[in-house]
Amino acid sequence: MRALRWISFMVVLAGLAWRFPLFHVVPLQQAVAEKKAATFDPTQFAGTFWTNRLLASLDKAVSATVLLPAIQSDPAAAKKQFARSVGMGESYFYFVAGIGRVVSVSDDEILLAVTATGTNADISLPAGPVFGNALRDSTSLLNVSDYPNSQDFNDISAALNHLVETTVLPTLRVQAKVGAQLSFAGCAEVADESSDLKPLHVVPVMTRLLPNL
Amino acid sequence: MKTPLFKLLLAASLAVLASLFLPTASAQTAAKDKIAVVVSTLNNPWFVVLGETAKARAVELGYDATIFDSQNDTAKEAANFENIIAGGYKAILFNPTDANGSIASVLKAKAAGIPVFCIDREINATNAATSQMLSDSYSGCVKLGQYFVKTVGKEGEYAELLGIVGDNNTWNRSKGFHSVVDRYPGLKMVAQQSGEFDRAKGLEVMESILQAHPNIKAVFCGNDAMAMGAYQALVTANKADVVKVFGFDGADDVVKLIAEGKIAATGMQFPKLMARQAAEYADSYVKGKRDFAQKIPVPVELVTQQNVSKYGDYGKK
Repeated sequence: MRALRWISFMVVLAGLAWRFPLFHVVPLQQAVAEKKAATFDPTQFAGTFWTNRLLASLDKAVSATVLLPAIQSDPAAAKKQFARSVGMGESYFYFVAGIGRVVSVSDDEILLAVTATGTNADISLPAGPVFGNALRDSTSLLNVSDYPNSQDFNDISAALNHLVETTVLPTLRVQAKVGAQLSFAGCAEVADESSDLKPLHVVPVMTRLLPNL
Repeated sequence: MKTPLFKLLLAASLAVLASLFLPTASAQTAAKDKIAVVVSTLNNPWFVVLGETAKARAVELGYDATIFDSQNDTAKEAANFENIIAGGYKAILFNPTDANGSIASVLKAKAAGIPVFCIDREINATNAATSQMLSDSYSGCVKLGQYFVKTVGKEGEYAELLGIVGDNNTWNRSKGFHSVVDRYPGLKMVAQQSGEFDRAKGLEVMESILQAHPNIKAVFCGNDAMAMGAYQALVTANKADVVKVFGFDGADDVVKLIAEGKIAATGMQFPKLMARQAAEYADSYVKGKRDFAQKIPVPVELVTQQNVSKYGDYGKK
């Protein structure tokens, strides 16, 4: 009788251990693969985002020939109509595209005039390092609330800036000769409504050399 | 006849007395709803401002508000949450101690039906807090990094004082700063140590850095408390004029030293703005609103000698 009780106890215990195991044995390779899969890779993410989503949304950018006169005429109204704001601050972003003629080239920037006969710089494209969140935040394609750890979200900015520096700027520096016509699309961050937007500083997503007319 | 009249008068008198006293009695029994303000530490003036502002706004909105100090300790923070849950609070305005370590406490509050609104610091979860108002530390430090290169130059040795290693803000600030400064190979970081967001610790760490690396041209500090400690160490070592100090927070004492040309720059966060907004969100929640954005970045503004007159009292004048 005592043996039967003991056996029953062991059977119940074995059943519990099977149903609720105290530990799982996972092959080392599988554990490493799972850990790698769980780690966010900003470079890979930025590459996919750049190709599949950012370049595919260039048609959503506002035309520079519409935006720039609107800013000069009424910055607050232009902001209301064309800008995107993020969070609670005063800064905002424009996603803009257009055609411009190169009027000046330096180590730091390439200046474009957007009007056909204009000589004043309307747009400034960077020639050197790119900083900030213009590429990440100018479109509505990425939302910080989707990222549990904001470090991942910030790493996306750095990876996107790196993509501009390595894929767009080298070609732009070759294209940018004074007098050349360039088609461009890009993102601009504005600190607040009192900012001087002449020229508008745009981080380019795309530039293309056009034949001079 | 006399007795019924007396009874009638007595009843009328009682009714008048009751009408006079009952509203007061009901007001006493219907106690105000309570809101808890849980702050990572009260050992730093910036967080005192954050906590006091959140409390004051909650009181303005008609709540009883109490501040709980977590003393930078997740165990203490968890105990605070237990007390808050048991105490029947309607909402928690929360400045977390640890991005990962604080998640469990927030989930407990959520399970108890108490909304949590994070202020300034985030938790690494999007399914726990009702909303998170977060200083955009990374972008703020990108601006600081650009100003650092502009004022210190593209060559030279510098040091960095990190905040609490487990806090996301520590790394968001450090990464934002390095995303710029690391692009200039002539700028060499010769020391990087944690000052734990603490003034005394910042002073101590800076003293040892100065002994090991006497030629540094600048120090980047992850918050203003450490910047004050570093500045104090530089004054003691007679190096305040040759080593540029960069802070982050926008604390009043640092803003004053920027105006005097003694500290180079800081990043102005807006603790009062965030704290008030969190209290207003909590009030909206209590009144029935449920659709809150999970994360709301609050931009950080660069404060230098050129624009310092625009800033003060933990915000823009």
